[in-house]
Amino acid sequence: MRLSAPIAALLAALSLWPALPARAAPVAYALQAESSTVGFETDFGPDHITGTMPIKSARLLIDFDKLSNCTIDVALDVAHATASFPFAAQAMKGPKVLDAAAFPEMTFRSGTIARAGDGATVDGMLTLRGVTRPVRLAASIYRQQGSATGDLSHLTVLLTGRVNRSDYGATGWADMVGDEVRLTITARIARAD
Amino acid sequence: MLRNTTDRFGLITRALHWGIAGLIVVQLPLGLRLSDMQPGLANLWLYSAHKTLGLSIFALVALRIVWHIISPPPAPMGGGWQARMAKAVHWAIYGMMVAIPLSGWVASSATGIDILLFDRIPVPAIAPVSAQWEATAFAIHDIATKLLMALLAIHIGAAFKREIDGDGTLTRMLRGHR
Repeated sequence: MRLSAPIAALLAALSLWPALPARAAPVAYALQAESSTVGFETDFGPDHITGTMPIKSARLLIDFDKLSNCTIDVALDVAHATASFPFAAQAMKGPKVLDAAAFPEMTFRSGTIARAGDGATVDGMLTLRGVTRPVRLAASIYRQQGSATGDLSHLTVLLTGRVNRSDYGATGWADMVGDEVRLTITARIARAD
Repeated sequence: MLRNTTDRFGLITRALHWGIAGLIVVQLPLGLRLSDMQPGLANLWLYSAHKTLGLSIFALVALRIVWHIISPPPAPMGGGWQARMAKAVHWAIYGMMVAIPLSGWVASSATGIDILLFDRIPVPAIAPVSAQWEATAFAIHDIATKLLMALLAIHIGAAFKREIDGDGTLTRMLRGHR
């Protein structure tokens, strides 16, 4: 899933990383699951397969003063993933790729988070099909549209990254479907207090 | 005349023969194309068409076998080794016409992806979702298809030869009698 140019521009205009006010401690945020998406895209011959995966649970602690104190802990619902056409969804959830019957959940747990330009890099561990491997995501955080300057109660976190599915043993349909899976995660979060 | 006699092919047998032959003429090159094609959204429908054609052939072959039990076809013309060979080739072709769609059905079932007849009607899976079943069934599908192509070459070549020789073998399958 890709963001349209106007939305991306709006989000960029609202970017918070360079201008975060100092706060004393990490702040807990709750995911607004209904308005958050985990989108993916991979190659299918000359075309692309796109889809989304519901977020099962998310635990987010954001320290606006010290990024290294931030933690992101997310579980995705593999069994209810959707793709741009039905056969792709079946193939993806089948035993040769994500094996949703045996591994209905995919998890990401952040490790090191560091500032990178206007955004941040999030190094963490992605567990898929029972295989855990390091992955790096690029992160940006924004005030949600309509919120006042300085209001950090509702935020949007945009995470992008790439993984090679073969690293996790998800090798099915390799002659038809690309190995690289591009991720675009739009997490809308609200302060928990 | 619908039924077969001892020296004539009835209309039902001839319709099934040429109907199945026509579908196989489309299905074989389609299957060969699929085996080395880079799939994309634009050509995904060809897989569905292949499965629909294959299951249609399977149904027609089953119908033909049942019909030939009810109304046995005439024996190959002539005699001697050529007639015995013709009979053996006919049996082998029937075997392949059952084995190929059946192995394709098993292999498709084993992938875990739905099989849709005419892109609409779900066809039940007849094998567990399994890489082992899938690989074995596709291997049988591939070998049996190559065998069928060889058998059809013999069958068609022999039919033309006998027609050229003047015994009316091909004419009998076209008109029902010599």
